[in-house]
Amino acid sequence: MIEIRSLRKNLGGNQVLDGVDLVVNEGECVVVMGPSGTGKSVLLKHIVGLFDPDEGDVLVDGISVPRADGRTIRRIRSRISYVFQNSALFDSLTVEGNILLGLPEGHCRRRDVNCNELVREALEHVNLGPEVLPLLPAELSGGMQKRVALARAVVGRQRYVLYDEPTTGLDPLNASNINELIARLKSEIGSTSVIVTHDVDSAFFLADRIAVLSDGVIQAIGTPEELRTTPDPRIQRFLDPAAAYAGAM
Amino acid sequence: MSVSGWLQRVGRKVLAAVQHAGHFGILLVATMAALPQIRRYWPAAVGHAKRIGVDGIALVIVVGGLSGSLLAQQTGYQLSNALPMSLVGSGVVAGMLTELGPVLTAIVIAGRTGAGIGAELGTMKVTDQIDALVTLGRDPVVELVAPRVVGGIIAMIPLVIIANFVGIFAGWFTAVSVLPMTTAEYVQGARSYYHSAALIFSLVKAPIFGFTITFVACYIGLRAEGGAAGVGRTATAAVVAIIVAIMVLDVILAPVYNAVA
Repeated sequence: MIEIRSLRKNLGGNQVLDGVDLVVNEGECVVVMGPSGTGKSVLLKHIVGLFDPDEGDVLVDGISVPRADGRTIRRIRSRISYVFQNSALFDSLTVEGNILLGLPEGHCRRRDVNCNELVREALEHVNLGPEVLPLLPAELSGGMQKRVALARAVVGRQRYVLYDEPTTGLDPLNASNINELIARLKSEIGSTSVIVTHDVDSAFFLADRIAVLSDGVIQAIGTPEELRTTPDPRIQRFLDPAAAYAGAM
Repeated sequence: MSVSGWLQRVGRKVLAAVQHAGHFGILLVATMAALPQIRRYWPAAVGHAKRIGVDGIALVIVVGGLSGSLLAQQTGYQLSNALPMSLVGSGVVAGMLTELGPVLTAIVIAGRTGAGIGAELGTMKVTDQIDALVTLGRDPVVELVAPRVVGGIIAMIPLVIIANFVGIFAGWFTAVSVLPMTTAEYVQGARSYYHSAALIFSLVKAPIFGFTITFVACYIGLRAEGGAAGVGRTATAAVVAIIVAIMVLDVILAPVYNAVA
């Protein structure tokens, strides 16, 4: 379980997070939505310890991430996969090298582990064939890079997967493919997911619950159906700006 | 500008400098702690050493040769009709071994490798690759900094030896071609100056400069921000910072050599 308690973060004089509370239960998929620049990615980076909060706490399996020492934070990170907005594949490594990095260090030296098999399985999960293994990230399309990043995220079968804008920059077809992949991976691997996006269609397709982050706090949280029927005009304006605009005319 | 505004600006600059020093110190300690784990990154370090050596060797030969030649000419012109010409050999050997060999090699490698490392790590930083490495449970200091630093240390030693040799050889060639002196006079002058402390000093400077070039480049690269423009600024900043650091270190090391020699 991931618990975020009264999280506050100021970046460059801007109060990005101003008391965020959020609980992500085991096996659940929570989508955090909100306009650009409202601190969705900052929130995600607190979960994996890339940012330290100014106030508040982040607990993963009951362990405080900001207060964890070096060994503990490594243990926490070994349970979490993070899919970055721009894939963040290593330019100098092949697809195979990138996916292997998703496994714990030294894992492939174990006799009972067949890493080639694990890499091929991860590629199959994201609908890619072994022919891409020797390619460098620069030789892949944006959609394929996202898939490789997903393969790297799932190869170690971590308990938590954090997705930062997984469909940003993709055409509608590729975005839809990535959404289907995430949904399939969730059901096959059974991981707990936190997805940050401002893509409303993706959110409603993937989420068990949706949290709307705006002005540094969670403005609303609920199942997709609950949010769809909420009377709050701010939430409605964000979820369906076209309808809100038409209503105002 | 008001006094309080000026004081605020100065205060911010001082604070930024202190923060820089703190981050630099933290990375230095982490790098020192990572160096003994050499088995984890030895293949990468060898790869970096090869790249630094191969990339830099041609330029090191050219710069070493030109500096030896210039040193011979200038020494010869200053000495003509005043002191024995054999001192040209002494001047070239002294200049190349103690200063020009290591320092010019370091400046050449700063321009080629320092900028490259700064830009490479800067790109990794602004494209979240460093953060990705951290989330994958890897230590960026062990994976990225330590192999480059060890590679720089390894590569600088042969490069400085080559620069010294080429400089002294070019000095001889210039001396016998341009100046009114013979090979015997040049060799006599070179022998009269040469002592092993000068060579050792030269070879001690090489790894120190190799460490400085790669470490400073890594530090600046890891602090890059601001997209492609930021990466460009990082490469430039890395070269400037490395050259300043090399010159400062050289000034600090000079009295050490004089005391030892």
